[in-house]
Amino acid sequence: MTPPEPLQSQGDQALKGALGRRIASALEGITREKVTEAGFANAMANGPLIANGAGILGLQNTLLMDGEDALVIAAGPSVHRSDTARIIKESGFKGVIIATESAMAWCLRHGILPHLVVTLDPHPERIVRWFGDPTLTDEALAQDDYFARQDMDPKFREDQLRFNRELLGLINKFGPDIRIAVASSASPAVVGRVRESGMAVYWWNPMYDDYDIEDSLTGRIHALNGLPCVNAGGNVGSACWVFAHAVLRKRRVGLVGMDFGYYADTTYHQTQYYKEILELVGPDRLDEVFMRILNPYLGREFYTDPAYLWYRDAFVEMAQQAECKTFNCTGGGILFGPGIEWTTLPEFLSSCNT
Amino acid sequence: MSDILKGNFTPKKPVEAHKEEDLNAQFEREALKRLGGSIAFVSKKKFLFGAGHNDKDTKRDAS
Repeated sequence: MTPPEPLQSQGDQALKGALGRRIASALEGITREKVTEAGFANAMANGPLIANGAGILGLQNTLLMDGEDALVIAAGPSVHRSDTARIIKESGFKGVIIATESAMAWCLRHGILPHLVVTLDPHPERIVRWFGDPTLTDEALAQDDYFARQDMDPKFREDQLRFNRELLGLINKFGPDIRIAVASSASPAVVGRVRESGMAVYWWNPMYDDYDIEDSLTGRIHALNGLPCVNAGGNVGSACWVFAHAVLRKRRVGLVGMDFGYYADTTYHQTQYYKEILELVGPDRLDEVFMRILNPYLGREFYTDPAYLWYRDAFVEMAQQAECKTFNCTGGGILFGPGIEWTTLPEFLSSCNT
Repeated sequence: MSDILKGNFTPKKPVEAHKEEDLNAQFEREALKRLGGSIAFVSKKKFLFGAGHNDKDTKRDAS
């Protein structure tokens, strides 16, 4: 699909929010600082399981290697704003479906069984919620309202304890049919749920820094457990895409739910980092942190925050060096640029079946 | 008096005034960490490292 104007120039002109851009430009180093300690601690805790488990290269000995097409399903809000599940199911798509752990519940609720799920975030409490948290209590919910605010899956905003119970059952039911690529950085809570539900685990390390520098963190984690290290792009959606082409060697990868942004009718309060941004800059400077971006393919404005902008920039960089063709079928958001073909989900799925 | 206060010697080690912004910068960095991503991204590097012969592997499964 041809954009109305050259992508980069229009995209860059449309980017506003100077403070947000400054923060985004610092996030590569800041994120490394944030995740290294927890990631390494979790890798140590997961060590005995890793030693007796399978690595991600084991996926290359499965039928997931068949065919050239893959579809990545992430948990962006666009997934809920169109008939995404019906389109996928009715398409007869024969390729590999790779889902973020945050999109797994949505997939299963809509009758889509991903061939591979990916998880990586070392957060000690939040990520296990996507799997159903057997320890969830009213007290825990009172301490963290992230899931009550987030825009990724509306079901998680409902009666949270009831939905959590339902999710525990759903994941337990389908767990034995699910392969999951678990980063060594995953929390003990996530690893416990993955094992409890009977999923087939394939381990990997996230890349932490430049493996060519002396005594790199990446070299150290690889030496620790022998697992391959994956440049995960800062987030689990991008990691799914890396798995699709770099591990499963797919040549054509479609994306849905990869918004990296918010619809204009989403309140700041519903955004991923609202509380953290508020604490950092106060209520009067929020407009300097959140950035509005015109999607030229849709002629529509979305807004984003520093982390999502960093994810987007990282993805655009990676897309240009990947050996696959990338089709963004998200239908919303800010992920466009060189190396990424903007198309619709029906068009992508239809082209896969020819 | 003002001439005396100008200082009439050179210290052995350079003296730096305590920077008040150090604490602010430290606070800001800690706050920024909470805005960070889920995992690292390493710019301008390959997608995989260490995916060689020593990596863990499994047999082909039938599913």
